[in-house]
Amino acid sequence: MRIFDPHIHMTSRTTDDYEAMRDAGVRALVEPAFWLGQPRTNVGSFVDYFDSLLGWERFRAAQFGIAHHCALALNPKEANDPRCAEVLDVLPRYLAKDGVVAVGEVGYDSMTPEEDDAFARQLELALRHDLPVLVHTPHRDKQEGTKRTLDVVRESGLAPHRVLVDHLNETTVAMVADAGCWMGFSVYPDTKMDEARMVALLAEYGTERMLVNSAADWGRSDPLKTRKTGLAMLDAGFGESEVDTVLWRNPVEFYGQSGRLALEPVAAGAVDAATGSSVLRGER
Amino acid sequence: MTFHLGYGTNGFANHRLDDALALIADLGYTAVALTLDHHHLDPFADDVVKQTERVAARLHELGLRVVVETGARYLLDPRRKHHPTLVSEDQAVRVDFLVRAKQIALDLGADCVSFWSGVGSADDWDHLRSGVAEVLESGPGVPLGLEPEPGMVVQWLDQALRLRTELGNPEELRITLDVGHCVAVEPQDAAACIRQAGELLVNVQLDDMLPGVHEHLEFGEGQLDLPATLAALTGIGYTGVAAVELPRHSHAAPDVAARALRALRAAQWLADAERAVRADPGVIDTLFPAAGRAVGAGQDAARVRLLTAFADVSDDPVDGFTRLYRYGTSAERRGVLRGLAEMGDRAPAAGVALVEDALRSNETDLVAAALGPFATRHLGRHAWRHGVLKCLFMGIPLTVVDGLDRHSDAELLRMVAAFADERRAAGRPVPADALALLGKAS
Repeated sequence: MRIFDPHIHMTSRTTDDYEAMRDAGVRALVEPAFWLGQPRTNVGSFVDYFDSLLGWERFRAAQFGIAHHCALALNPKEANDPRCAEVLDVLPRYLAKDGVVAVGEVGYDSMTPEEDDAFARQLELALRHDLPVLVHTPHRDKQEGTKRTLDVVRESGLAPHRVLVDHLNETTVAMVADAGCWMGFSVYPDTKMDEARMVALLAEYGTERMLVNSAADWGRSDPLKTRKTGLAMLDAGFGESEVDTVLWRNPVEFYGQSGRLALEPVAAGAVDAATGSSVLRGER
Repeated sequence: MTFHLGYGTNGFANHRLDDALALIADLGYTAVALTLDHHHLDPFADDVVKQTERVAARLHELGLRVVVETGARYLLDPRRKHHPTLVSEDQAVRVDFLVRAKQIALDLGADCVSFWSGVGSADDWDHLRSGVAEVLESGPGVPLGLEPEPGMVVQWLDQALRLRTELGNPEELRITLDVGHCVAVEPQDAAACIRQAGELLVNVQLDDMLPGVHEHLEFGEGQLDLPATLAALTGIGYTGVAAVELPRHSHAAPDVAARALRALRAAQWLADAERAVRADPGVIDTLFPAAGRAVGAGQDAARVRLLTAFADVSDDPVDGFTRLYRYGTSAERRGVLRGLAEMGDRAPAAGVALVEDALRSNETDLVAAALGPFATRHLGRHAWRHGVLKCLFMGIPLTVVDGLDRHSDAELLRMVAAFADERRAAGRPVPADALALLGKAS
């Protein structure tokens, strides 16, 4: 089973996770920029974070043979803090970079006017930089938030197939399917979706435009939920090709629209293959 | 790009002409340099008129612009390569062939017939001139491109231009330039030759070469400055065909042709990017990151060229470099660090700050790039020694360290010896590079 996790926050994960993911079949992933739990208080904090997603985390992933890409954005929660909103002025410089395959996560948290503004401006940046968009849907008032999200996307002029609407569930999937956007599902240990409900949705809606992610982050989450969902699909009678569509071909097709996917992980630098390429600090 | 990138069919000698044309077009070339040969549109075939008509239709279907080349090896004489030529006794055979080629060029709608002089001596000059005059006067009016060819009577652009002057500057006699030949034998580089030929240029052959060696090489294997060459073609407003000339690579033609086009597109991107930065240094903010995708493997060198262009025109290059590093990805930072070798001397203090930042990182690429010639010249000895030791810790081969042998000192060797002792005490292997360094010193 080859797996492309279209949404996972590796910054919050350990090398044990990287090893387990590699063993489970994960060969590529996208790490979207998001809220770090601890609120940021200035633009510099974002810049360091973007640098880390583009450089350090990519380098770390390469040690485990995993191709790391990222999506960059001002997340909706911090769009409400005027000390952070100015990051939108540095974002264009970052959207030009290799390894950036989408604008994201954007969308709504509490549906404030500040979030409206940041969302609209970033959809405009996606158009200008010819990048697809990863949209987060809110935890609270999800149905209303998803509906409003689709309205804003429609007004932006972005084609629906350039947009992935994430964290969907039974109550929000239909409207996204009808809108023609890609549908993302985060499979979690206890919140959001689980494997069995995910398989039921795949049986009902088919595999086209459907993506499954672990969205693993600093909270209780499981970076192997992609594989577990794939196994649950096989148990339920789906074929291997359908599993491959959901776990590999769909994310490749969606993020491939950026023209910047590089599915061979970048070589880990100037290191002699014979000596290994890990981040050695003299510990061996 | 004002001109048309093409590929020479003499580099597809093991393919049927139809297959070669289809492959060349499929790869994305928009032109072809068609070498008339016994198996590629034979000018001596009974049905040459019909064949030419068919090839013309095919070229039109495929959207390929065309020039006619006449350098086939054994078309006129099965025993002697390229024989007879315009400096041979039986010159008439060559003249007859070139006149047939003019008719074919006319029927194909080709830009020109390209030809060379032949191997001989300075004494053959007058004979050559009268032969060229005869070709000009015979057959239909089609432009002729005289190509300077290493080792031939006309081997330099100057000689080709002199012959033209002696013939009274006929409108139809123009110049074919092989840019690899410029590297091999011309006293000036290809870009300068292109500018000298100027509006007389009717056909261009693209390949790499080493000085003094007439061997057609793939791009990157010789010393041709491809971006500067393409920029010169744009600079003189050239609108004709520039076709890859690799007649000894037919055995792997499809792969070689694909590689060549990638190299040409990367070089064209870089040429355009350099021009854009010189016109408006601010655009480096987005072009510097994009160089990775546009150029691929040669991205470090490409970024150094962008930095050079930027430093030439920017009011404050030091601030610019610092910002590119500050907001750079690992690959971009590596590019800036490499650029310090060329331009860091203009502002050593700012450069040292970047090198020190890179040496604090734990990315092997950055540490390696930081220890180039700039660090050798400007970084404090203490920091430099720690950089070398860090390489040993991270498993970075010491070959990345510029001037290691010259600058190793007793203090560095003491540090490396202590590191080796520590490894042995822990029962861990000592890196071979450390042992080698200590061995050289003993």
